[in-house]
Amino acid sequence: MSDTEFSNSTGPTAQDDFEPVSVFEDGEMDLRPGADNCYKCSVCDTTCPVAEVDDDFPGPKFQGPEQWRLKRKEDVEIDDSIMSCSNCMRCDDACPSGVPLSQMHNTARGAYVDEQMTKLSREYVRNRILANYGTLARLGSAVPRLTNFVMGNSLVQTVNEKLLGITAERDFPEFATETFREWWAERGGPRVRSEDKRVAYFHGCYSNYNTPEVGKAMVRVFEAFGYEVVVPRQRCSGTPMFANGMLDDAERAASVNVSELSDLLEEGYDVIASCTSCSMSLRQEYPELFQLSGIEEVAANTYESLEYLRIHEDLDGELADASVDEQAFAYHAPCHARNQGLDRQAVELFREVDGVEMEDVGDSCSGISGTYGWKEEKYETSMKIGEDMFEHMDDAAGEVGMTECPTCSMQMEHGTGYEIEHPLQLLDDALC
Amino acid sequence: MSNAPSALVIGGGSTGCGIVRDLAMRGLDVTLVEKGNLTHGTTGRMHGLLHSGGRYAVADQSSATECIEENRVLRRIATHCVEMTGGLFVQRPEDEDEYFERKLEGCRECGIPAEVLSPEEAREIEPHLARDIERAIRVPDGAIDPFRLCVANAAAAIDHGARVETHAEVTDVLVENGEAVGVEIEHESGEGSFVHGEAGEREEIYADHIINATGAWAGQIGDMAGVDVAVRPSKGVMTIMNVRQVDTVINRCKPKGDADIVVPHETTCILGTTDEEVDDPEDYPEEGWEVDMMIDTLSKLVPMLSEARTIRSFWGVRPLYEPPAVASEDPTDITRDFFLLDHDDRDDLPGMTSIVGGKLTTYRLMAEKIADHVCDRLDVDAECRTAEEPLPGSEDFSVLRDWMDEFGLRSPVGRRSAERLGSRMDEVIGEWDGPNPTVCECEAVTRAEIHDAIEGAGSDLNAVRLRTRASMGNCQGAFCCHRMANELVPEYDEVVARDAFEDLYQERWKGERHALWGQQLSQATLKHMLHATTMNRDSDPAATEEPVDFGAFDPGPDATSAPGAGTESAGGPDDAVADGGTGIEAAGGPDRDGSNPAGETDADS
Repeated sequence: MSDTEFSNSTGPTAQDDFEPVSVFEDGEMDLRPGADNCYKCSVCDTTCPVAEVDDDFPGPKFQGPEQWRLKRKEDVEIDDSIMSCSNCMRCDDACPSGVPLSQMHNTARGAYVDEQMTKLSREYVRNRILANYGTLARLGSAVPRLTNFVMGNSLVQTVNEKLLGITAERDFPEFATETFREWWAERGGPRVRSEDKRVAYFHGCYSNYNTPEVGKAMVRVFEAFGYEVVVPRQRCSGTPMFANGMLDDAERAASVNVSELSDLLEEGYDVIASCTSCSMSLRQEYPELFQLSGIEEVAANTYESLEYLRIHEDLDGELADASVDEQAFAYHAPCHARNQGLDRQAVELFREVDGVEMEDVGDSCSGISGTYGWKEEKYETSMKIGEDMFEHMDDAAGEVGMTECPTCSMQMEHGTGYEIEHPLQLLDDALC
Repeated sequence: MSNAPSALVIGGGSTGCGIVRDLAMRGLDVTLVEKGNLTHGTTGRMHGLLHSGGRYAVADQSSATECIEENRVLRRIATHCVEMTGGLFVQRPEDEDEYFERKLEGCRECGIPAEVLSPEEAREIEPHLARDIERAIRVPDGAIDPFRLCVANAAAAIDHGARVETHAEVTDVLVENGEAVGVEIEHESGEGSFVHGEAGEREEIYADHIINATGAWAGQIGDMAGVDVAVRPSKGVMTIMNVRQVDTVINRCKPKGDADIVVPHETTCILGTTDEEVDDPEDYPEEGWEVDMMIDTLSKLVPMLSEARTIRSFWGVRPLYEPPAVASEDPTDITRDFFLLDHDDRDDLPGMTSIVGGKLTTYRLMAEKIADHVCDRLDVDAECRTAEEPLPGSEDFSVLRDWMDEFGLRSPVGRRSAERLGSRMDEVIGEWDGPNPTVCECEAVTRAEIHDAIEGAGSDLNAVRLRTRASMGNCQGAFCCHRMANELVPEYDEVVARDAFEDLYQERWKGERHALWGQQLSQATLKHMLHATTMNRDSDPAATEEPVDFGAFDPGPDATSAPGAGTESAGGPDDAVADGGTGIEAAGGPDRDGSNPAGETDADS
């Protein structure tokens, strides 16, 4: 009963304080004891980007510990405001007391969608489509040029908005004419073999279908450091599914990913991801939401790619002599990178490189939060949240944006018209 | 004034409230006086268990039978006060098989539905039960909110013409010609709804019959009338957890002992209890080890309790009574049955009856018996209707509605409001005009409900708390005490609101003191700092009796003598406190050190 048990309880480890068990209907986890950690300081509410711009949103304290504490076994009703949470997870990072906020939100959202959302509603259908972007992308990228042409048609965009509630304001991301996996197969797989330096690449949907150049950069950089890279069979990390309360879809995808990655862990591979939301999902949301064999090991051995190199290689030393064409970047740290403690890594890494000017555009949220900013009714909120970032990007010297997160990069491009790069691409330029 | 026979009930606990309702429904002219809030004594300090009778099924079968009967009555007439959680008697490996069998048999003998569960079945109902339990008996225990219950009884009595005076302490029992004829009371704030501040008004109330329903305080009232009522007060500690670890009442299945029950109550769990005789029901030690012992012991049933957050602890005093001839050594041996003491038969003092012992679950039955007795004494021929007629708030409770859509409330807020208000939901929330923000977020209480409670309870925010549960959640009023006080204005003036605020804040602190470790310590610290730094409540001059010395404050940034501003305008000696820049020499002289406080060097040189 001493205070010491709680003093270090920040971040994901704090959730070890209790073991959620199924109490509610449909095996929903009982997170009421998680409310014990909340002393209502409201820091989560003050860091919530949605609450800041949307007065009708009650904020993470209500969504999480308050709503959970008021729950009873027999009533499973969740307030519909849970659907306005963008799942940026900044509240997790802000909480000084280890309240499992995003776990509470994800679980409540899942229950809300299961129990209270009409499966024939436009919202459900639209969210299901957005949440399963990977499936959509697989179909679209089979005929990339045609898809790009059709999706770029303003009539199609209008129809999407009217029929599905997907905003017409945004341009649909273009599909690459060759996916990363196609390139990888063409290339003949790994060119470096190693017994002790082995990574399994979790590319996620976006760098496979839309920005294979990120994945290619990752392969070149890691191979340059002598790593054997393998690309396992994989499905969506689940991030857009959590954010839309589609926990069943997410669990199906997770079971494929965990089983594939577990096998590789046994062969001595670590898991790396180039998307910070993918790594976030594997590391935190998987063990919080699902009980799958091997899930804890996968979570413990997953890294973001730059993070991994900074741990295992002397990147600073390698970059000391490197130089690239003069370029200033406006860097935005994604919220999910922040939650993994990675929000400074690109700035720290590149600031000494000759020719590079790396400016952090501040700690605001970009506002898009994956599929959130794609929803017609959330578009305005999303852009309001992004205002700070757009302004700071505008003020920054660089005319090229940089971020680790694919959807943040969409938002950055949408708000400023800048071209956006991934840190791996710059690292590839500097070293390879 | 009516010509009906009159009765006066002393004590606003469950028994007194039940009696006043019963007698009012039978047409008597009846008054209830209570020295504090309703439930001020033992009723407000219990674990909220609606007994199935299982706890008494071995040792006290007549109590057990009464319990199961009244349990069924209360489920019907007090739906909005009752949550039928179900209960388990859990056997641990070290608990005797024989007792388990006797418990089961006892339940069946008393007509209490009882079912044996395997450990797997029990853990399916309550997953947080210890892994090593042997088995369990499932019984229809429930949870009951004693505050709501008393308020509903009092409200029903008032509807039937009764007068209910809270904060009215009996200072004397009036005896004339060898007969009890009335009482003298002292109003803490004047007659009617409680308003802070005006103390001391006295009133004599005469009645044809006086009922002493003061529980643990019955001896003190008896003394005023010159009769001996030997109540043996016994204290017990209860600890409130922050959340519900269990949704079923968990009892330990063993003969008797301390710390053997966990009751899910509203948003919390209440752990109980101990049993120790005390001399004075208002002055006894509250000790930390009692809380520690209880958490440790109950962790054997529900292990996660040992790490869980407690938000407060409180002690209650049982009004145990036994006929003097029995003389039990151990208070746990004293019967939980109730006794009706007619002071005419017993002490040759006509006009007064005392009721002692008993328990909350059977409050209605006790009230019925004493009302029968009073009617008999007063030659009134009227039937008891309290077992059939639902309490206000429990009429037509089957109407399930979407409160959120209807009243614009967030769904958990609407749901909790409906659970508390029952059939009064429309009247209280639906008819509310104007914005209805949540005042207490922990317990989801809105402004409309607070105002309804103020209407019923006057300016006493502790009574508002009992009616609504506002400030009873995990922050213990950190975020809502002042908001509640704010709702008193403009109906009540600033001084009244300030006093009510302070009373509530201090009452919360009373229980929080016993939970100051881990998260609740963080909570209490945050609460103190918030109130100190945003409302100056740690040293608010307006809250003291002393006149404020306004001269002690600096005159503000625009005044000529203010630091910084003064250097240019060459005012008094204060000028020299400026930060060693321009003007120092002009004001002080060549040997001045810019860091010296104003005046000092002047005086020395």
